[in-house]
Amino acid sequence: MADVDTRRDYGGGGGFRQNGGGGRAYGGNKRKRGREDDDTEQGRPDRRPRHSEAPPGTRLRRALLEIGDDPLRLPQEVAQNAAKLATENYEDEYVRDTFCTVALKLAVEQPFKIPMIAGVIQYANTDNSEVAKDIISKAASQLQEYLDRGQWRELKLVLRLIACLSPLYEEDGVLPVLDELFNRAVDLQTASQEDAVGLELVKIILLTIPYLLAANGDAALQQAASELLARTDIIASAQNPLEPLVDPYPDANAPDEKPMACASVISLLQRQLQDEESNGWPLKCIPRVYDSSFKQANTNGDAPEETNSDEEAKVTPKHPFPTITVPSTVNPGPKALFPEIYFSLYADQEIESVPPTSSISACLLRDAILDTINILDFNRNATARFLNDIDCYWAPDTFVKRSTAFDKLRDMPAGKSTWKPEDVAIDAIFSQIFQLPTPEHRLVYYHSLITESCKISPGAIAPSLGRAIRFLFRGVDSMDMELAFRFMDWFGHHLSNFEFRWKWAEWIPELDLSALSPKKAFIIGTLEKEIQLSFAKRVRDTLPADYHPLIPPSKENEIPEFKYNDDTTPYAKEGREVLQMLRKKAAEDDIQTVLNAVQQQALAHGTPDPLVPSTDIYLTSILSIGSKSLSHVLSTIDRCKERLLAVGAQSEPARRQIITSVVNFWSDHLGTAVNIIDKLLNYTIVTPMSVIQWMLQDRMDRGRALASLLAYELVSITMFKVTNRVRQVLRERNNMALPYEQRQQIDEALPRERQGMRDLFAAIEDAVAGVAAGAQDEMVERYEDGDQEAEMVKMWGQKWLRVWRRKAAVEEAVVGELVIGPLEEPVVLPEVVAEVEAEDDMDQVA
Amino acid sequence: MPQFQMRSTVERLDKPSSYAMSKYKKRRRPSGDDANRAPSPDLEEKLRDASTLYVGNLSFYTTEEQIHALFSKAGELKRLVMGLDRFSKTPCGFCFVEYYTHEDALDCLKYIGGTKLDERIIRCDLDEGFSEGRQYGRGKSGGQVRDEYREEFDPGRGGFGKKFREDEQAYGNEYGPGQ
Repeated sequence: MADVDTRRDYGGGGGFRQNGGGGRAYGGNKRKRGREDDDTEQGRPDRRPRHSEAPPGTRLRRALLEIGDDPLRLPQEVAQNAAKLATENYEDEYVRDTFCTVALKLAVEQPFKIPMIAGVIQYANTDNSEVAKDIISKAASQLQEYLDRGQWRELKLVLRLIACLSPLYEEDGVLPVLDELFNRAVDLQTASQEDAVGLELVKIILLTIPYLLAANGDAALQQAASELLARTDIIASAQNPLEPLVDPYPDANAPDEKPMACASVISLLQRQLQDEESNGWPLKCIPRVYDSSFKQANTNGDAPEETNSDEEAKVTPKHPFPTITVPSTVNPGPKALFPEIYFSLYADQEIESVPPTSSISACLLRDAILDTINILDFNRNATARFLNDIDCYWAPDTFVKRSTAFDKLRDMPAGKSTWKPEDVAIDAIFSQIFQLPTPEHRLVYYHSLITESCKISPGAIAPSLGRAIRFLFRGVDSMDMELAFRFMDWFGHHLSNFEFRWKWAEWIPELDLSALSPKKAFIIGTLEKEIQLSFAKRVRDTLPADYHPLIPPSKENEIPEFKYNDDTTPYAKEGREVLQMLRKKAAEDDIQTVLNAVQQQALAHGTPDPLVPSTDIYLTSILSIGSKSLSHVLSTIDRCKERLLAVGAQSEPARRQIITSVVNFWSDHLGTAVNIIDKLLNYTIVTPMSVIQWMLQDRMDRGRALASLLAYELVSITMFKVTNRVRQVLRERNNMALPYEQRQQIDEALPRERQGMRDLFAAIEDAVAGVAAGAQDEMVERYEDGDQEAEMVKMWGQKWLRVWRRKAAVEEAVVGELVIGPLEEPVVLPEVVAEVEAEDDMDQVA
Repeated sequence: MPQFQMRSTVERLDKPSSYAMSKYKKRRRPSGDDANRAPSPDLEEKLRDASTLYVGNLSFYTTEEQIHALFSKAGELKRLVMGLDRFSKTPCGFCFVEYYTHEDALDCLKYIGGTKLDERIIRCDLDEGFSEGRQYGRGKSGGQVRDEYREEFDPGRGGFGKKFREDEQAYGNEYGPGQ
């Protein structure tokens, strides 16, 4: 259902039942839609009877939006019908508006449909050249805007539409534009080895060429494309120095041990296109929608039949190629770019269920799917529907029939496609979950997209997912650690949406592995994630008995024991006293008296820092009172924050004791411990550095801790908070709506914030580098399992090192001195700034 | 003639739901003739910066920690207010989730609304913001109105609706408390 403004006095057109984006009703909310109809049609005495035909603008909009959605209709026929609606009513301003707006909006929102939209324009052009003329000029001006603003994806898509219209130009101008873009890419690459904008430009060039040549088979054009292709090779085939940073499988010992090839997208595109070139550019998967000889077999009765001779006499009107100026220095765009790796779970395996990485179809399909996914994040149901219907939008016979079982692919006759539409779609979604450094949207979007896909077609998707999960699990040892945690997070979340059903029995042999093996760590972490979204007993009931030791009965205990109830705990009496006093909201001085007594005793026992045991008592009491729920603990912390802040300021060991107390109290529910520490960071009761050092020094356990979910999550939430803040400060510094003076102050504060962040990254590096080098003090001798365990700990050190070095590099690419440039001075009239608003904003930063 | 406008080619999920819209319209439309009234502010306009969500169809047994585990996938939570039975002060199947930013709230609508938590499909709606008192159920017996007259058995939401429960209790009491 398109989101359109239908306010137009058109005899009730507003009440039209929009059923776009597939021609099906999503969610079956017919009742509600009925009511909306009533609302819009209220008080319109002149309204059209319900069953009369909608006005042409409305019909045209629907025809365009639904184009290609119906697998039972030929795209040629659908395109011709839409073209006819446009040409026959083109004198109507509303129709003209609708046509251009919808066609261009579709190009940048539903890239699958670009060849079909181009088909409509070509059909329309034979009857009314105005249609093509208007859209070419509008497309060109949009393209120019995108180009000037560095909006690369939109640029690519509009350029694709323009390329698909190639036969309509007096002289093709697409290749000269591509040439210009290539020159800029060369400039950028020459200026910096690490440049990724130039790579993006080359990718756009390489992805435009196939659509251009599929639309226009002109030999001279092919020749020119080949020449361009020869030039792009130097950039496309070279490895960018940043590539190893975004490698999903960096821990493989040798390239051929990787679960997949992990080549860069542009290097693949280059080779695939060279291959197409040598085969005479078949470009098989791109649908050819325009066919000048196509006649509708079932012409509607209401359309006057034209004679064949009339049709043939028509000459395609040609149009001048629009002016497009590639700026001499391109705007790098709003997002920091990184090289892209082609991630595929299914490609190049024994059975070809997706296009092999040698085929141009692999990159063309992937590119269009990813754009669809990332553009339409605002409606995952519609996106899942498009992915489910993917075979409608590509050339016939690109895929096998939907829901064909994987085992049946073997039996396909030679020459027939064995590409499963489900695999191709799922593969693309996973490539986003496993995209480094980060995908475009929050990971949970891709999670829910998989969930919706499963809901639409459970029988077809579930087996594909099963193969994906097994593939990922097999390769988890050499997978980048951050990605392994993303895999865990997705898997736990996914299972929580599907009754926790998984064939756990097949991983029973892995349970014998050391807890330090990535596979075992994955299993343990996944169960933890499942429990966080559900509860221990529920999860245990879904598992074979062999797994039960991983979920001890203590995990079922939602409210942990208060350790001072046990008289063998040191300071038990005082602990209970403090708990009671806090419960009764006793006076601070009274509490202090008890804590003083504890400190006295501690001193007498020779405890190095007497604040440590008293802090343990105080915090454990807070946690016990707050154990009922997160809100309870937060309100108790809030009540006690003054003392907690004072304790931390007074003694670093006491501050770390706060963390110890939280983690010990919630040792069976570490997710809760992490949440509480997250809040303590917000209160600045604990500092980022204290969390990092607590985890990576105090609790390092000679490196073993690096395999734990706790370590990864604690360090991650801490570093996210810090890096996010630095980014926020930078945004405010560059916020031209703020008074210049204020921005100057922020600019002065920025280096301090950034240095704080760098110190933390350095602390992580220091702590894990030793483990990675195997240089932890007398490490080897201390391991019971000897060499093997030492090797595994070393491997975790290397994994950590790689992840946090990458994260540090990514932050430098966003907030480093070199990239942010000098503080931009205000251009005009600094008085015209809304000061109240500005102060509000500052509060958030300070 | 107004120009044809189109925000997107498919509907957006990050808008107030049709339920919220209809409720709002009802509330805004006085019984008398309102032809002369100035147009009331658009609900969408009102929720333009909203960072709070109403979350419905939760199980009574779903904990804050579970809600936190799911909802923090769309951004850090600023506040979580459990919906409580007015009388028993126990969870009654809804909550308010507040994020730090409007964008996070929208992400939640887009990516989490309509997915499962504790094996129930949950419902999310943009909300004007929590105010004291709204955490309590407005049904006669203290819970949510929707649970009063429900005839289907829903184990996650206290079994049958109130009327059915009363009948059952009356029946059980005849035999006195069991062992």
